[in-house]
Amino acid sequence: MAKLVLYRLAFVLPQMLVVSVLVFSMTYLVPGSPAGAVLGPSATPEAIAQVEAQLGLDAPPLQRMGEWFTALLQGDLGTAYRSGMPVTDLISQRLPATLSMVVGGMLVALLLGVGVGVLAGTRPGTKVDRLLTGGTVLGIAIPEFWLGLLLTTVFAAHLGWFPIVGWVPPSTDFLGWLHGLVLPSITLGLTGGAIIARQTRAAMVRSLASPFIDTLAAAGVSRRTILYRYGVKNALVPVLASAGVVFAILIGVSFVAEKVFSFPGLGDLMLTSTIGQDFPVVQGVVLVTAALVVAINFVLDISYGLINPQARPA
Amino acid sequence: MTTSTIGPNAADTSSTRQAAGLRQLWRRLRSQPVTLVSTLVLLGIVAVAVLAPLLAPYAPEATDFDHPLSGPTADHPLGSDELGRDVLSQLIYAARTALLVAGGSVLVAMLIGVPLGLVLGYKGGWYDRIGSRGMDIADALPGLMIGFVVIAILGRGMLVLILAIGIIFSMNFARMVRAVTLTERKKLYVDSAHVTGLPTRDILFRQILPNMVGPLAVQGAVFLGNAIKVEAALSFLGLGLPESQPSWGGMLRVAAEHQADRPWMALPPGLAILITVLVLNLLGDGLNDALSGRRPVRKRARSAAPVPPPAPAAVADDARAAVLTVDDLVVVADRPDGSTARLLDRVSLQVRRGEVLGLLGESGSGKSMLAKSILGMLPPNVYAEEGSIRLDGQQLRGLPEREFAKLRGRKLGVVFQNPQGNLSPVHTIGQQLCEALRANNELSRKQARARAAELLELVGVDDASRRLGQYPHQFSGGMAQRVAIAIALAGEPEVLILDEATSALDVTTQSQVLDLVLDLRERFDMAIINITHDLGVAAETCDTVAVLYHGELLEVSEVNALFDDPSHPYTEALLAAHPTAETELDRLPTIADKLTVDGDWIRK
Repeated sequence: MAKLVLYRLAFVLPQMLVVSVLVFSMTYLVPGSPAGAVLGPSATPEAIAQVEAQLGLDAPPLQRMGEWFTALLQGDLGTAYRSGMPVTDLISQRLPATLSMVVGGMLVALLLGVGVGVLAGTRPGTKVDRLLTGGTVLGIAIPEFWLGLLLTTVFAAHLGWFPIVGWVPPSTDFLGWLHGLVLPSITLGLTGGAIIARQTRAAMVRSLASPFIDTLAAAGVSRRTILYRYGVKNALVPVLASAGVVFAILIGVSFVAEKVFSFPGLGDLMLTSTIGQDFPVVQGVVLVTAALVVAINFVLDISYGLINPQARPA
Repeated sequence: MTTSTIGPNAADTSSTRQAAGLRQLWRRLRSQPVTLVSTLVLLGIVAVAVLAPLLAPYAPEATDFDHPLSGPTADHPLGSDELGRDVLSQLIYAARTALLVAGGSVLVAMLIGVPLGLVLGYKGGWYDRIGSRGMDIADALPGLMIGFVVIAILGRGMLVLILAIGIIFSMNFARMVRAVTLTERKKLYVDSAHVTGLPTRDILFRQILPNMVGPLAVQGAVFLGNAIKVEAALSFLGLGLPESQPSWGGMLRVAAEHQADRPWMALPPGLAILITVLVLNLLGDGLNDALSGRRPVRKRARSAAPVPPPAPAAVADDARAAVLTVDDLVVVADRPDGSTARLLDRVSLQVRRGEVLGLLGESGSGKSMLAKSILGMLPPNVYAEEGSIRLDGQQLRGLPEREFAKLRGRKLGVVFQNPQGNLSPVHTIGQQLCEALRANNELSRKQARARAAELLELVGVDDASRRLGQYPHQFSGGMAQRVAIAIALAGEPEVLILDEATSALDVTTQSQVLDLVLDLRERFDMAIINITHDLGVAAETCDTVAVLYHGELLEVSEVNALFDDPSHPYTEALLAAHPTAETELDRLPTIADKLTVDGDWIRK
């Protein structure tokens, strides 16, 4: 176990380091300079130079990178150009809404995806399978934010079952928080679930075609036990490996969907900063998102090793 | 075709091969109605986009301030937005935007991803290691985030949008091309191109690349769909094209503002996105199935002949000693074209308690199908059409699965060939053995565990109680096969079938496992059917040997009689083809196919 954790850490830490360097270098790719982008096309060279000095952009790249990393290690992501607020504060205000939505979506995706995938994969070629597989094709094709729009229109605006403005912090009103999370989680979960369902189905079909299934069946073990204890566990191995990809996709989807549900998440922050070319904020959001994805993959890889003995380092 | 560089001959064969491949692909695609309909719908959308000025009733930006936010009317069949712009016209013009941006970005993704994947896959080594790590790192970011970053750096606009979406998908293309290149570069044509001194660039782009047109087309279709979704999402957020340019995402942005008072406004653009992405995905799936030759599995109603009534008393008397009797068994497989193929043709044999019956034959002779018929584990589309299989007098042919399930384990057991594959890789040996034990006996967990250790010891696995906690990959092939035997013995079956159970093992291990089986036969008083293609194994272990060829049983003899005086010319040829220590030949003897058209053997 400890070995497995260390082994994965040896992969994760360099990965985060490279991502950080890339994120830092982002400002050097801006045509002209970030200061010019902030001030607009009519800015005089003097004004740009002044702002650059003010923002510390005129220091040599290595020195800037050193300072940036030193601050980063202390949890300081810099100061927003526009609002002058610490980026760390801006992000930590928005993180709960995004995380709630993504985790809720992920739960729905896993329940739905594994359920549908197992149901379809255990009876390939049947009507049930074709219906469910057809459903997953639809689930992948549907634009998530449009689905969210339809769901809020019908269930929030029209039927009034759910609040239109969904976000309530869990510390203020826990049940209200859960209530508001239902529609966003379903929206994110349907897409993620469709992806997971397709993978589960394929893995299930593969796993049920393995000779060990016949070995157990021939030894008199009941079909139900074989399917659900042996087939599913073997099928979950590849599914778990891809859950990290789905998590990353759902974060991206949440950035768009939060607008539909009026969630004060990272997406809105990223959107205004992207339009305003507020680079410290953009860098901060990218870095935090990447760290989230890397962290979830780390956890998944460990649990992958726990399920699949062959993936454990010798 | 560019293969002419390695000689006219090679070019010729490869182009005819490609033409044949294309014809086959077309045949398969034609038989997929969903793919055909999707193609038609997609062509329709493309036509609408191209002919937009002719089809749209208004210019997309034309305003009608007299009728803002109207519902469907004669003037505006799909209504109008807050500036009175015609929704239908916008929808039509937006198809142009969607296809242009998606097409452009898939092109960008291919331009970046394909060369990258080719080089990484072909060069291998450090290039590949660093490149693959790079792709893993790119995985840490949601695709949409990369889009945000590109737009943040370069500002908004059509070209930036195309570039942003293209970069998102480039890594997917790189990954796929790398994987295909890895397998392609090991193939002969790459070697021969290399030997003829073709520059690497030409090998990559002129030799390898044409071989992945299929997979690239599949990915291209799927990512066109994805790109349309991303474009819509970015336009919905206002990061895409300027408002003046009609886009489905932009229309949804307007619709979202009127969600409360004009809920229907979200329908036309949303459905347009959904349908376009859907047909692209279906097209990709269909193309993928056609390329891989996969066809939908359809179960056909079984049309087997009625099961014969119980055998007359006289026959039953004779069969009393035999625990398993197979009579005139015919097993057929459905062909895709509706006809059937005979896998077993009137096969009859019997096996007694304590007897080892060898079932000898080359691959494809129907040995395994016979085993699967007895076990009731025939694959879908294969079924026993005629004849009978009786176990202790009970008719097995046509027995419902529910009844069959009761026999497996307690009366019938089997060990298959693949030693590692026979065991679930993610469960311990103990879990699997206990599962089989508890399925056949009333045992508590603890009792099952103790019995499992005994059984494991019995099949010759040392240190049994510790090894129960281990996983199959920690076992050697021979040891894993002993575990599979233990699982088959859990219900103390009357008939044990070994389906090439020792074929994958080395010779020493093989004879150890066979000795074990002979030992167990006495202990459990079982009948054993040993299916093998190995004459040595048959000679060593069997009392009686049956020879199968192309689904027909050629002869059944006592083992010594068979080896000393084979009655059938095929058996003779089979024995002659078996290399022994005395064989001093430059080449191993082979069996020529001596069957005539109607299936009779020609006597020499």
